[in-house]
Amino acid sequence: MKNPFKLPTISSLPAWFGILVLEIMLLIAMAILQPTFFSGSNLSNIVRSSAVPIILGIGMTFTILTAGIDLSVGSVLAFTGIVLSGLITHMPRLVAVILTIALVTIIVGGINGFLIGKLGLNSFVITLGSLGIFRGISYLVTNGTTRSMDTGKLINTLGDGNVGPIPGPFLVVIFISIISIYALKSTYFGRDVYAVGGNEFAAKLAGIFTSRVKMTVYFISALLAALAGVMQVGRLQAASPTIGAGLELTVVAGVLLGGTRLSGGVGSITGTVIGLLFLQTVSNSLTIQGVSSYWQQVVTGVLLGAAVLFDRIRIEYSGRSKRGEESNVTKE
Amino acid sequence: MQTRVSMQGISKRFDAVHALTGVNLTLYPGEVHTIAGENGSGKSTLLKILAGVLQPDAGAIEIDGKAVEFTDIRMAMNHGVTMVSQELSLVPHLGVAENVFLGHNQTRNTFGIDWKDTEKRSVEILNRLNLHVNPKAEVSSLPQHQQQLVEIARALASETRVLLLDEPTSSLAPAEVEALFNVVRQLRDDGVSIVMISHRMSEMLAISDRFTVLRDSKFIDTSSKDGVDENWLIDRMVLNKPKEATKKIKSGEPQKIVMEVKGLTGFAGDFADISFNIHQGEIVGLAGLAGAGRTELVEAIVGAHARRSGDVYVNTKKIGHNTRSTMNSGIALVPDDRRMKSTIHDMSVRDNLLLAVHGRPAKNRSRKKEEKIVNEWVAKFNIKVKNLDAPISSLSGGNQQKVVIARCLVSKPKVLILDEATRGIDLGAKAEIYEILRNLAREGLAILVVSSEITEIFEISDRVLVMHAGELTADLDRSTIKESDVVSAATGVLV
Repeated sequence: MKNPFKLPTISSLPAWFGILVLEIMLLIAMAILQPTFFSGSNLSNIVRSSAVPIILGIGMTFTILTAGIDLSVGSVLAFTGIVLSGLITHMPRLVAVILTIALVTIIVGGINGFLIGKLGLNSFVITLGSLGIFRGISYLVTNGTTRSMDTGKLINTLGDGNVGPIPGPFLVVIFISIISIYALKSTYFGRDVYAVGGNEFAAKLAGIFTSRVKMTVYFISALLAALAGVMQVGRLQAASPTIGAGLELTVVAGVLLGGTRLSGGVGSITGTVIGLLFLQTVSNSLTIQGVSSYWQQVVTGVLLGAAVLFDRIRIEYSGRSKRGEESNVTKE
Repeated sequence: MQTRVSMQGISKRFDAVHALTGVNLTLYPGEVHTIAGENGSGKSTLLKILAGVLQPDAGAIEIDGKAVEFTDIRMAMNHGVTMVSQELSLVPHLGVAENVFLGHNQTRNTFGIDWKDTEKRSVEILNRLNLHVNPKAEVSSLPQHQQQLVEIARALASETRVLLLDEPTSSLAPAEVEALFNVVRQLRDDGVSIVMISHRMSEMLAISDRFTVLRDSKFIDTSSKDGVDENWLIDRMVLNKPKEATKKIKSGEPQKIVMEVKGLTGFAGDFADISFNIHQGEIVGLAGLAGAGRTELVEAIVGAHARRSGDVYVNTKKIGHNTRSTMNSGIALVPDDRRMKSTIHDMSVRDNLLLAVHGRPAKNRSRKKEEKIVNEWVAKFNIKVKNLDAPISSLSGGNQQKVVIARCLVSKPKVLILDEATRGIDLGAKAEIYEILRNLAREGLAILVVSSEITEIFEISDRVLVMHAGELTADLDRSTIKESDVVSAATGVLV
């Protein structure tokens, strides 16, 4: 009874497929409504402004896949800028960038990773704590003021500039995405991440070093937050303690929109990239249409609810056909 | 006799799959009725329909001669039908009394719920079940078999006239089963109709007044207990009878010791000072009641839990304390709870089978080599799987368990430990797993089988160890022991 022309069923499509369709529909609608939307400068603006959330989202995907979460990324984004602004006047820019990223990764990743991975403390509580700590330190050091910086070409290219015709941040996103997809799909580490999030005790019994895996994902998240922090400085030409406040929630929203399950074990980088790109497109479209930015938050909330609802329907649906598959198999 | 429940021509489909086709079931007051059938034959679906969890696509249900239609559990309960499902559905951190009356009407006083009265009434019900616990105690602090009784108490808190028990004994030890059956018999004598699903032949035969057999989602036969025996049931339950168990012949001289456990004491005090050894090619059974510390012991051996003292040796070499190092030393464990401890539900069959294959974290996994391993084991164990990339939850329980056993064997262990490896698995798959174990032993693997089913222990073991309350109480050679020896050691009589 196999039909070669059969359309793929809902359950066989990846979780992010619905969001991709919405994204395309939104692009088409905007093309009709607002000719300026498809101007080169606006499109590259969307790409530039979504780069930082996407980089943070990739790190967030790792932590959520292990059934954890990293709420500190928005604060770390600001903290990184402050660290960079302190170091950059004392050394060559390249060295300052590398040293900043290394320092932030070791400090933040070390604290989150040790407490959550090694001691097994709750990720929500711990990273909520680091969210406060690093935001607070950033305010204390700067006294709440914004520090302008002469970032030079490197940092500017990472966050805002172009390489030839292509926006630098776009290249960074592509590069990080490819590495992350490879890590999750093709390495033992990636397999272990899904296993720990899917069933931690089973993973442990199978010989996986579960605490090491969990520590690693918080290091990855810190590393990517530090990288995003440097990019943000490049974009603003300044470091501000207020930057990225509340951004962690947008990032989590994008990750979940992309089909990653908050309970761990299911999700993908591709989904995260599409989810965050979609949120950015929505906000850009609303801005262009002259809709108040307050509405953007309402829209994000509604979308998130709809996405989770849709995912539930999808799981129910695939659960049913799975049961079907089981009894077919038993009968064979 | 007046019928209490009559289900006629019940059909239920999940998408294209027929879970039940035209099944009949009649219940009389004061009887224990067993529904027998292999996994996937539709037993649970039938119970769920009667309990209002699922709605039938076709067919009629009558209670006391009146047609009813249950759209939810609540409605079924109002008609006196209550189900105690396989997975306990208690709220672990609430008290016993609170759980008993969860969802039922409680007396109120000026300040809200009258807890004194609730406790008094729950103690009355618990006494009926011979369960004497503090009604204020947290449910999670009780052993599992007592939790099961609390669940039954909850059913009795509403006026239950039809009690549905889905595999109530699957996690109980023999003595607890007997206690549960006494309760069931008493309820029957009080006029309650009880429907039971069980996978244990001896239990079905011991307790039931009538039997209904399902096969391939169809009604096969129904009969009162006269004339029903094991063969009668097997004939109807399975098309292809499982092969007659080949009695194991002990082969000649004792082999060398592969694993030696010396004075192992658990960190939480679940077991103390355990010493034993296993020889090459030997299958050792580890019997005992639930809560005797067997699961804790084997999980400590593989390094999943901390230990206070003692050591484990493989081929006279002391082994490490974490799951990876014990695995590298050649010990593999098939855990007792497949859902909670073995499978990663959303992960593919392939990755589940390969879960114990490790490499440097950043190393690229060689697809070719993996493909070869997976195909080899799928063929060897006759694992019925359509799509290796589908989640493992799409397989039947028996096939999932085979994947888990294969996972353990991929690393070529010297010792294989199986903890309740055949729990909740149908007869056919069970026989296949026994056959696999016998072959592995013949190839020289040392095997430790932890089981609460005495028949299982006797079926495959060369030697039987017995644990009681955290201590090893007997080490019996297969050729000389009787079932009663094991039972008395497990209950602490021989200590």
